[in-house]
Amino acid sequence: MRFFIREDAAAASAHVANYIVDRINHFAPTPAHPFVLGLPTGSTPLGVYKVLVEKYKAGEVSFENVVTFNMDEYIGIPRDHPESYHSFMWKHFFSHVNIHPSNVHILDGNAPNLEAECVEYEAKIKAAGGIDLFLAGMGEDGHIAFNEPGSSLASRTRVKTLAYGTILANSRFFDNDMDKVPKMALTVGVQTVLEAREVVVMALGARKALALQRCVEQGVNHMWTLSALQLHPHSMIVCDEDATLELQVKTVKYFKDIEQVARAQGFEQILPSKVRTGPATVPTTIVTDEFPAPTIHSPQPTTSRLLRATPATEYPVRSRSPSPEPNFAPRHLRVNSDAEYTVSSRSASPDLVPDRMAERMEDPALLRRLTPNPEQQQLHQQPLHNSVPRTSITA
Amino acid sequence: MPSVIRSASPRHNGITKLTNCRLVRGDELVWDDVWVSSATGKIIRSQAAFYDELIMPDEVVDLGGRIVSPGFIECQLNGAYGFNFSTLVDDMTQYGKQLRDLNRKLARIGVTSYIPTVTSQTSDLYKKVLPYLGPSGSSRRPHDGAESLGAHVEGPFLNPTKNGVHNRSVLKVASSFADLEDMYGAANINPSSTPELEVHSPSSSGTSSSSLPSSPVSSRSSDAHGRIPVKMITAAPELGAMTSLIPELTSRGIIVSIGHSEATYEEASAAVSAGATMITHLFNAMRPLHHRNPGIFGVLGTNNSTTSTNSTTTAQEQEQEQGQGQQEGRSTSRRIARPYFGIIADGIHLHPTTIKIAWHAHPDGLVLVTDAMHMVGLPDGRYAWTNGEGEHYIIKKGSVLELEGTGAIAGSSITLIECVNNFLNWTGASIPQALKAVTATPAAMLGVQGVKGSLEAGADADLVVLSEEACEGRTELVVDEVWKFGVRIFERKHV
Repeated sequence: MRFFIREDAAAASAHVANYIVDRINHFAPTPAHPFVLGLPTGSTPLGVYKVLVEKYKAGEVSFENVVTFNMDEYIGIPRDHPESYHSFMWKHFFSHVNIHPSNVHILDGNAPNLEAECVEYEAKIKAAGGIDLFLAGMGEDGHIAFNEPGSSLASRTRVKTLAYGTILANSRFFDNDMDKVPKMALTVGVQTVLEAREVVVMALGARKALALQRCVEQGVNHMWTLSALQLHPHSMIVCDEDATLELQVKTVKYFKDIEQVARAQGFEQILPSKVRTGPATVPTTIVTDEFPAPTIHSPQPTTSRLLRATPATEYPVRSRSPSPEPNFAPRHLRVNSDAEYTVSSRSASPDLVPDRMAERMEDPALLRRLTPNPEQQQLHQQPLHNSVPRTSITA
Repeated sequence: MPSVIRSASPRHNGITKLTNCRLVRGDELVWDDVWVSSATGKIIRSQAAFYDELIMPDEVVDLGGRIVSPGFIECQLNGAYGFNFSTLVDDMTQYGKQLRDLNRKLARIGVTSYIPTVTSQTSDLYKKVLPYLGPSGSSRRPHDGAESLGAHVEGPFLNPTKNGVHNRSVLKVASSFADLEDMYGAANINPSSTPELEVHSPSSSGTSSSSLPSSPVSSRSSDAHGRIPVKMITAAPELGAMTSLIPELTSRGIIVSIGHSEATYEEASAAVSAGATMITHLFNAMRPLHHRNPGIFGVLGTNNSTTSTNSTTTAQEQEQEQGQGQQEGRSTSRRIARPYFGIIADGIHLHPTTIKIAWHAHPDGLVLVTDAMHMVGLPDGRYAWTNGEGEHYIIKKGSVLELEGTGAIAGSSITLIECVNNFLNWTGASIPQALKAVTATPAAMLGVQGVKGSLEAGADADLVVLSEEACEGRTELVVDEVWKFGVRIFERKHV
């Protein structure tokens, strides 16, 4: 996790905006290969949007080939309601930059079938090649998007009921009338965010201090959903001084030091080039069957799904169609010499297939199970039942 | 929906985004963008266009922080650039040609809509010119320039003692609606399709006195009626049966304005109760404010209260008002809205302080008008002018116009933007407040609010781009660009 502490909210916002601009420019997006950006709403990212708009107007960045996915949207308020996230994004960002409307994706809280809308949204993210950078804010209770405390860390885009506290907090935008506040929302899941190749989270102000402490210094916990960020290979947190109030001095000092050392070394904690850049400069990986199958089968990984390889650890997946069937056969990768990018997709690492150690051995004698197994138990069932009355008699 | 002019390529949607500008929104200048469509001629709801129709503007215009105001609406203009609306030419097609020429020139000074004013004339002239002066915007061609919203007939049912430069000999008294039809031509004040029209006649509403109509102010719904050439009539309500004829006019969507009148406070209040919603050039050609009888100006002080029309003093009226309100329960039907009023801010017709007082009395009612004659835009000199009978001459010296031989002020030769600048500097009003007096307020007065004089989505995309210039301690607004129906039709050449 990269962790940047800036003097105040403005400096933190500028840092994030600069970072995004650098990422987009380095990525050099094209229509066929757009930069896919995940976007939040709320008061935290306002400063970032402001700087992004300024930079667009100054000609430092173009959003022409940027595809965006928003985190969430209320259910049941008109899309053009001033408090809808459609309106927010229009007012603070989309109306000021050259992003194309067909590249903008926001969940439709008025869709006739909300569940289908969520499934479709996930499919759209996949079709766009996955999210390159997901920008997020942090809730006071450590929530990310509308994934409030207790949300599954493996959750995906879905309908979510808002907590009483959230409704109460949001009522300030709805004439302080709780009845006017939407009670439900559509939101991306924690897992959806974690699948982005990079996640940048902002925490501004003293009110976020406790949540920041929980998510950075303590373990992964579904009561502070953002703590799942610890499992992401390329995450970044940017906060202001106020938000560090609950952190240990040691933690703050550590991250400040590491930033300083990195800068002194001219190595600013950058991402691996394959995540950072567009595939135009990345060599293509091609799956071949030229190599003979190995004689010794290696054990399959037994890690949890969360630790499973995510698209973030892989080359950008550029397939516009759903991934092909996962192939569990061992693969051998070869770097393509002509370095020309072709559309390719790799399946995620194979799922755990439970097997017996004995089956991997050559000796057929070992194939016979020594330990009880279901088949044997069933076979033994009949005689066992028969013997029961007999034993009772002899007793 | 008006005719849609589309360019050949489907990729061009005719939408222009004006950005980096301050929009006049209510009493504030707001940094925001405005999207206009040359296809529909309207201001579009940008957010819906973006999300629903996936539209990007064809063109983005950076206005560099300048002000965007709705196009100006002129409510009293007698002519301009040498063309007087109140003239008869032998070949009336020539009249139409000159009118179209004037419309194009007028738009260049920021006036995108106006109601051409015809002074007191003979019936013959009204009948000939009014058909030319009716609403002209239905074609929605941007390069036609300024659009008439209907004609303003200032007379001839005026008080001879307050005639100004109007010819006394053509002034008339109306005793019935037929008199109005005879004067203006029935077709000019009646909608072409009249079956559903309900006419409030004072006799049917139960009161015997013709000067005391008890029918409530009928709501103006000009759009519901067919387009009729006359939009506004200035009349002296104290003469003949004029007050009782007001409901008949308002029911046709015609605005009745009190002017050139000796009306007392009571008479003016009665006219307002009957449906008059405007005062023509307040203070000019009417009784001055007197502390015992505030006259027409006094109506601005009523503050939407109930009024009684047959009392003779203010004190009596208040007593009676209380009594009537309780006894007869008529208070709701007698509530009146304060009328709008025209103000000529040329520094000649009115003292700046007078304008300030009127504005403070009723800020939402003030409509800046020029009352400009056809000499506006012409060099100084002696110009022929007819006021219905015989030839007269008007001497133009700078912006001062005098009727030759009388010394009477003969209208003005000021432009509307000059009025705005005067108003801005004399009253201390903010820029949006001053612009409101030539945009949103006249639009509301004419019943076209939300269509004209507005920058809200759905309104016609008639815009004026203004820059602020400080000179000699004054703030001057300068018309830089004029847009009509979503198309830029004028751009000031920068020196």
